[in-house]
Amino acid sequence: MSTPVGRSVGESWRALRTPLLVTGLIVLAAIVVLIATTARTSGQFSPDSTESTGARALAALLEDHNVDVHGTESLNDAVQAGGGSTLLIGPGGSLDDGDWRRIADAQWSHVILMRPGSRALDALAPGVRPTGNSLAVRSREPGCELPAAVKAGTVTVNGPTYSAPEGATTCYGDGINNTVIRLQVGDRLVDVIGTPSSFINDRLAEDGNAALALNLLGTHQDLTWYLPQWESDYPDSDGESSAQLIPPDVRYIAWALAFAVLVVAIWRGRRLGPVVAERLPVIVHAAETTEGRARLYRRSRARDRAASALRESALGQLHEAHGIPRRADPSAVVATVAARTGRDPAMLYELLYGLPPLTDAALMSLSQELDVLTQEVRHP
Amino acid sequence: MVLTGRAGILAAAGVVFVALVMPSWAGVGVVVAAVLVVCLVDILLAGSPRRLQFSREGDNAVRLGEQAAVNLLITNPGRRVRGLLRDAWPPSAGVLDPPHKLDLPSGERRRLTTHLVPTRRGDRHAYRVTVRSIGPLGFAGRQGSHQVAWTLRALPPFKSRKHLPSRLARLRELDGRTALLVRGQGTEFDSLRDYVPGDDVRSIDWRATARRGNVVLRTWRPERDRQVVIVIDSGRLSAGRVGDAPRLDHAMDAALLLAALATRAGDRVSLLACDSAVRADVRRPAPEDVLPSFVNALANVEAELVQTDFRIVVSQVLERLGQRSLVVLLTGLDPAVIEESLLPVIGPLLRRHVVLLASVADPRLTELEAARGDLLDVYGAASAARTRLDRDRLTATLTRAGVTVVDEPPEHIAPALADTYLSLKKAGRL
Repeated sequence: MSTPVGRSVGESWRALRTPLLVTGLIVLAAIVVLIATTARTSGQFSPDSTESTGARALAALLEDHNVDVHGTESLNDAVQAGGGSTLLIGPGGSLDDGDWRRIADAQWSHVILMRPGSRALDALAPGVRPTGNSLAVRSREPGCELPAAVKAGTVTVNGPTYSAPEGATTCYGDGINNTVIRLQVGDRLVDVIGTPSSFINDRLAEDGNAALALNLLGTHQDLTWYLPQWESDYPDSDGESSAQLIPPDVRYIAWALAFAVLVVAIWRGRRLGPVVAERLPVIVHAAETTEGRARLYRRSRARDRAASALRESALGQLHEAHGIPRRADPSAVVATVAARTGRDPAMLYELLYGLPPLTDAALMSLSQELDVLTQEVRHP
Repeated sequence: MVLTGRAGILAAAGVVFVALVMPSWAGVGVVVAAVLVVCLVDILLAGSPRRLQFSREGDNAVRLGEQAAVNLLITNPGRRVRGLLRDAWPPSAGVLDPPHKLDLPSGERRRLTTHLVPTRRGDRHAYRVTVRSIGPLGFAGRQGSHQVAWTLRALPPFKSRKHLPSRLARLRELDGRTALLVRGQGTEFDSLRDYVPGDDVRSIDWRATARRGNVVLRTWRPERDRQVVIVIDSGRLSAGRVGDAPRLDHAMDAALLLAALATRAGDRVSLLACDSAVRADVRRPAPEDVLPSFVNALANVEAELVQTDFRIVVSQVLERLGQRSLVVLLTGLDPAVIEESLLPVIGPLLRRHVVLLASVADPRLTELEAARGDLLDVYGAASAARTRLDRDRLTATLTRAGVTVVDEPPEHIAPALADTYLSLKKAGRL
């Protein structure tokens, strides 16, 4: 008499295990691929970016020449002691004086500043100042004794220029406005480069750009490629404190609460059997077509048709009330009705057989007059 | 798997436990493990809903608007099952009961009754029986469904049966079972009897009078054993809703009253519901079987949104009628449809039979025609007047062709059709 509906536990498991396995594998593969391919850095002049403004080409070139490029967006990586290695600081970002000082205090033996601001220059390259002028895109001769530049030859250069203190080597400029400056600060070599755009993916192949970049950046085995970010993130800033202000107990309570909410959701969410669906008949008012025609009349301002229907209907009632033959002459009808109601025959003729009304107001008044007339006939 | 409120309370108590006693990951783990273990034990101990056995008994049919009771017999061969049982039906089956409480010890059998008041005509099939079996601890349980087939047929309500007694009284008058006897009530010769002062002298049978020596009167009675075929149009003309029900339902009501009346009058009634195909066909049932067979045949007829093929109607009717009969056509008075598809094919019917066309008029049209408010009302009145004029013209055309037309609003259509039948009978036109 009765058949169980749905699957038993074993059947459900057998039916579901293959889809579950496949889904699990897909998710796992997606996670692995995501982790493997996630770029640590992104944006302009990023060693992982293959866009036209990125610097993936340069990073790859450096790797080919046995330089370990370590791209990062974290300030912590830039302030670690790095004896015998190079730190490249990309353009942009906003670090405050404290951050720059911490970078300066780290033991980098070679620091390269790409298009630095005055705070960076104060901390890392004392004496170098931005001139406020910039150079248009053009191939330029090195015009200096720096071996790296001399070997590279002409380089396509543009960007802001800097003035150098005494004892610094200045290249690719006129001696006052320079785009590449190398100076010795203590036992550290500092390069100030105003033209990082010479080394982006788009332009690296032009002139001696690649050679210059390799010569400047390839001084040590390790290159930390730091791209400063827009927010400063050292530990005692305000950013992290709100999470730490929450007592740890609350976190456990929140987890227990979340579990309780889940249990209650399962309790309330389980229905006692599925909703029963059923086909319902279409229900349309029988008068729908008549009402639709009324709206059509109105939209097309069919006053003539409306008036003729109303007149015909009124005439039908008059015929019935006065016993006038169906096919009677209009004048005979008017005469009979006029005799019974005492109305003016000319006006009656106009009312019953006149021209169609020209305005909506005229139609309204016509309908009212016809009403009055049929009322009179019914209750003389 | 289902959880109960107790599992929710246990989990909520767990929050308090974590807050006050063990605010650590271990505390959270203890709470989660406790809830899971308790629920799992309960699920394992709960009786299996899948192993229950069901069967049904009870009403098979009910008149629309009345209450039916369908029983569910549940046998439990396994562990004790406690919890809820829902006997699910489609919404228009109108189940009155909330889910039943169930407590079924092992090896026992229970009877639960589901009460239904269907809201729509037609067959309603039981959907599923879902049982939620809660474990002995009351924290969790199992849930399973069974298909237990049963069909409840909601029959046409036959609301117009309240008009039947008065029409039967008029029928008895016609039939001669009352004292009144005047010539003209039927044409079938009944008997001869002695003249009583006051009788209609036109009924005197002079030949018999001469033979017997005293004045003898012929009595007449209406014809009996005539054929009446009721044809219900289940096409799109019957689909439109008039008042609170489709034309089709009003037509069925009128058909049932006419069938009841004609059966009492000694006529043989057949039924045909037809659109582009025959939907219901009852041929000359035994008199006591007329109403049951009609309501059963009509229970599942729904208006189809197709044009009715009147050629089928005509051929079907001609096929089953030999002698001169009454053909009642319940349809809508739509000028386009009737003029194009009925009038061209109705000729053979009219030549041999009396044809009566009954249509449910829409009171909404009268309302529309009388409305005078804003401009749309006036256009509505004009449109309704046009519709009525078209219907009037169609009625005139049909009457000229020899069809008797009954066009009445829903509440009057059944008695009006019965009255027309009686007057046809009285006039001896059958």
